[in-house]
Amino acid sequence: MITGFLFRALDKKAIWVALALLAVAVLVPLSNAMLPINHPLHVPTHIMALFGKYLCYAMLALALDLVWGYCGILSLGHGAFFALGGYAMGMYLMRQIGTRGVYGHPILPDFMVFLNWKELPWFWFGFDMFWFAMLMVLFVPGLLAFVFGWFAFRSRVNGVYLSIITQAMTYALLLAFFRNEMGFGGNNGLTDFKDILGYSVQAQETRAALFAATAIGLAIAFVLCSGIVNSRYGKVLVSVRDAESRTRFIGYRVEHIKLFAFVVSAMIAGIAGALYVPQVGIINPGEFAPANSIEVVIWTAVGGRGTLIGPIIGAVAVNFGKSYFTAAFPEFWLFALGALFVATTLFLPKGIVGLFNEGWTRLRSGREADRAEETLQPGTEAAE
Amino acid sequence: MRLILFLTGLLAMIMAVTGPVRADEAELRAAIAKFAEATKFSETEAVIEEIAGLGDPAAATALNELSEGQVMVRESDGEVFVIRGKDDNVQLLDPLTLEVVGTATEDDLRKIKIKNSIRRMIADVVSGLTLRAKDPKIRMQAAETIFSRPDEDIIETLDAVIAEEQDDRVRQAFIDARAAAVLDSDMSEAEKLEAVDILETRGGRDVLPILTTVSNSDIATVAEAAKTAIASVEERLMFWAAGQNIWYGISLGSVLLLAAIGLAITFGVMGVINMAHGEMVMLGAYTTFVVQEVIRNSAPGMFDYSLAIALPLAFLVAGTAGFVLERGVIRFLYGRPLETLLATWGVSLILQQTVRTIFGPTNREVGNPSWMSGSFEVGEILITTNRLWIVVFSLVVFAILLIVLKRTRFGLQMRAVTQNRPMASSMGIATPWVDAFTFALGSGIAGIAGVALSQIDNVSPNLGQGYIIDSFMVVVFGGVGNLWGTLVGALTLGVANKFLEPYAGAVLAKIFILVFIILFIQKRPRGLFALKGRSVET
Amino acid sequence: MTEKLTKSLLYLDGVSVSFDGFKAINELSLTVEHGEMRAIIGPNGAGKTTMMDIITGKTRPDSGTVLFEGDIDLTRHDESAIALLGIGRKFQKPTVFESHTVEDNLELALKRDHGIFATLFTDTSSEQKERIDEILETIRLGHRRSELAADLSHGQKQWLEIGMLLAQDPKLLLVDEPVAGMTDAETIETAKLLREIAGEKAVIVVEHDMTFIRDLDVKVTVLAEGSVLAEGSLDHVSADERVIESYLGR
Repeated sequence: MITGFLFRALDKKAIWVALALLAVAVLVPLSNAMLPINHPLHVPTHIMALFGKYLCYAMLALALDLVWGYCGILSLGHGAFFALGGYAMGMYLMRQIGTRGVYGHPILPDFMVFLNWKELPWFWFGFDMFWFAMLMVLFVPGLLAFVFGWFAFRSRVNGVYLSIITQAMTYALLLAFFRNEMGFGGNNGLTDFKDILGYSVQAQETRAALFAATAIGLAIAFVLCSGIVNSRYGKVLVSVRDAESRTRFIGYRVEHIKLFAFVVSAMIAGIAGALYVPQVGIINPGEFAPANSIEVVIWTAVGGRGTLIGPIIGAVAVNFGKSYFTAAFPEFWLFALGALFVATTLFLPKGIVGLFNEGWTRLRSGREADRAEETLQPGTEAAE
Repeated sequence: MRLILFLTGLLAMIMAVTGPVRADEAELRAAIAKFAEATKFSETEAVIEEIAGLGDPAAATALNELSEGQVMVRESDGEVFVIRGKDDNVQLLDPLTLEVVGTATEDDLRKIKIKNSIRRMIADVVSGLTLRAKDPKIRMQAAETIFSRPDEDIIETLDAVIAEEQDDRVRQAFIDARAAAVLDSDMSEAEKLEAVDILETRGGRDVLPILTTVSNSDIATVAEAAKTAIASVEERLMFWAAGQNIWYGISLGSVLLLAAIGLAITFGVMGVINMAHGEMVMLGAYTTFVVQEVIRNSAPGMFDYSLAIALPLAFLVAGTAGFVLERGVIRFLYGRPLETLLATWGVSLILQQTVRTIFGPTNREVGNPSWMSGSFEVGEILITTNRLWIVVFSLVVFAILLIVLKRTRFGLQMRAVTQNRPMASSMGIATPWVDAFTFALGSGIAGIAGVALSQIDNVSPNLGQGYIIDSFMVVVFGGVGNLWGTLVGALTLGVANKFLEPYAGAVLAKIFILVFIILFIQKRPRGLFALKGRSVET
Repeated sequence: MTEKLTKSLLYLDGVSVSFDGFKAINELSLTVEHGEMRAIIGPNGAGKTTMMDIITGKTRPDSGTVLFEGDIDLTRHDESAIALLGIGRKFQKPTVFESHTVEDNLELALKRDHGIFATLFTDTSSEQKERIDEILETIRLGHRRSELAADLSHGQKQWLEIGMLLAQDPKLLLVDEPVAGMTDAETIETAKLLREIAGEKAVIVVEHDMTFIRDLDVKVTVLAEGSVLAEGSLDHVSADERVIESYLGR
């Protein structure tokens, strides 16, 4: 049963992608640590940190693709799940600071001392334990997705309506987390982390380990998603995307199908957020900004939705471009991003992977090409 | 005593405005000069009485300084001054204008001596002077000042002026002030009961502290009456507070309506998700800014007309932008709402960055024309003029739009195309152009909304971002494709938000509203005023 | 409810539903027996599709009784539950999963556990594969099994959809305009196919094509303005004055 699932998961190209990610997880930290700085294959620490960040984004895009590319649910609020996972990790890291904070309070984080709080709010309990925090990384985004999806899918909120309310959801959370009273550090968020599992977050070794963890995490998420979309459940997902009522009329509980994908996706997003926070050293309410979530959508679209490798390529490529542009021509980046949105939707609906696939199949045979187009066509359900 | 000071300050302020040259100023100066000869208390009192007899509020300054012991006579020539400083460095001030006219040492000066009875006398005279001032506004303000700081000593004066006063409103104010003073005094139970009645009738937030003090009075009946009065006043206050909240809510609702009404066309009628809608609003606001800049530099006298000039321009600018957006991007994406959403988001980023590049990232100053500044009160409800104009404006825009849709040929074509495109097309309607102009209309309306919003919001490249989610919420809540729904939706959400704010705070209120709408959409996915119909196969 | 109220497979009594004051279905009563094939005709707006919506749980009636197998109140169930109870529905416009192969379409429709766990982890058994082959045979699509449904012709999509209904193994099939847009040869084949199915399963066919109805040769119910106008053999109802008036025309 599980072996069947795994067998399907590692089908075809998937195994190569997974192996490549594992290779990255091993080789990059090794090169960073072992090779001399002037060696041509040496990966400098800041590049490794940068790419560690990109891999987190890739995981987030992969999560979004599972619901958007395969099930037609365009979530404009996936940044919220990412941020919640990040906050759960941030809370763990805050509690590891101990007496090394500015105010030196043994239990309360600095911002609570600053706000004159006398004791830890109940929802901060347990976050001093790593395993508990990791559980919350999965549980909190999963719960939000479950509750939200339960209501939304049951009452058949579809298409753009769903997109708009997911955006409203992340916007509401943004406003909420800005409030000091919420107990998550207000607009400064959580930062000034010291240790993770007893190792300094600044240390080069820790950074290498975090990079490796992210690449492995992405590989696992990839295999999981691959298993899901290659099972009969995955076929049902696509069926829901293309003809929701037909799926319902042959007896599938569409709301359950969607809910499961949504929750799994939210959990993957949460893990991505948790891996992201120790690498960038801060989590603040800005992560909930609706604009962030929409950006995730464009990574996925650029890479190619409805494929699993697409979002990974898209996230890395777009963010690499972002890093380059914001450094070289800061004025220009938003123009480029805006143009990317327009150009992708108008000229590249299948993304880079779609383009590549099309070229590849056309090379092999003309007739096959037409079919590939059809396969990759992610029909989007109209808003009634 | 502080009351007198305050009244004096008030007078000085009014004098500064009304101008210092007065016909009887010479007479007043002559009377003040007589202090030089007053060496006994009785003589000083006589001079004060003479000044009081002149009935000129301008005397209050000098009298008050006298009360403070700051009036002295220069020994050398017997001239009277108000003084500041001491020992060798004394400044001499004109007793009426308080302008510095010279310096002296303390040895050259003689203080005009006073005692407590004279101070009381001065207090009465000063309040008498303001309460008898010619300008009813001054009398009114004097009454209000006394009301807010009641003083037992002033009752007699008030009795006198109440008898004399011709202006009904001012007399009522005097009576209220007297009641406040009575409650602060040791007067009889009957007097106090009557005073409580008067205050209860007057109502308002400021009677509450007075009544609260009285409710702890030793006289049981008075305390009881005060408690009843408090309850009644509070009840009326709640009513007014509710009224005020409704007004704030309507005001917020009209802003939401303005922001959403264009979207009701593009999203509601055409079904196009335009994430760049907020940027159309922003374009309108920046058009206003440019118009005002041009006017400031070339014809400052025209400033009051700036908004009238900006309105058509904003409509054109945003409308053109909308037209280009529809022709250039959206028309390729009909039937793919999610793609439209993404592409228009991209356009919104480009528009924001363009504006940021041209006008800079910071807030730009857009001024209120004079006819939009100020405020007035209806009962206890404070209404600012600019908000009132925006409410009126939003309703006018709404009405015009309704007329365009229902009564014009273009509106008919528009409705035809959205209901049945192939049929409309086969009847000779150029559907692509109808699409383009409909979109331009929606965008143009967003532009004129921007003109209005520039009056109450910061004009920055991010202006539109703040409205986009709210606008969608309004349209979705009201029911897509239904303009009336948008109106009701906007006002409902505005009022609900303002009613929640006092309990939850602004941010939490907004969160509640968002959560409410999210839940609401689950219950009624097609909004408040959805059309029911045979379910369509998907 | 232990005692069955009716022996009929499908029982509608006094069903009404209105949309914004417009009575789409008005006091409609109808019974269909086990294994029966019934044709339903009527002018546009007679309420045919709305009636199907009510039976399959897409629309809730304002009043009236809808019973399946004598004791199951269909108004209490939603579409997927009703599908699992054994009612299959073919839409007016052929609706198949275009980005799946013909075979996958049938595999997804097969009657079995549709829960998330099962769909994630179980494989299709050889028995089930045989059943798919059988259906492919019945709907004459065996040679195109691994092609994408999107590549099928209009008529083939109609058949594939009927095939999906068969895979569901329902007790009652609702078939909405199965021959719309078909060639004459395809129409005759379809009538044959439906007759093969009937007997074992009950079938309700909504159709405008009178030749096709005649080919089916079954009891006909005429709907008009949301209620039953006449019922009986095609010859019987065609002779009915009111039917001629409201539908067939003189």
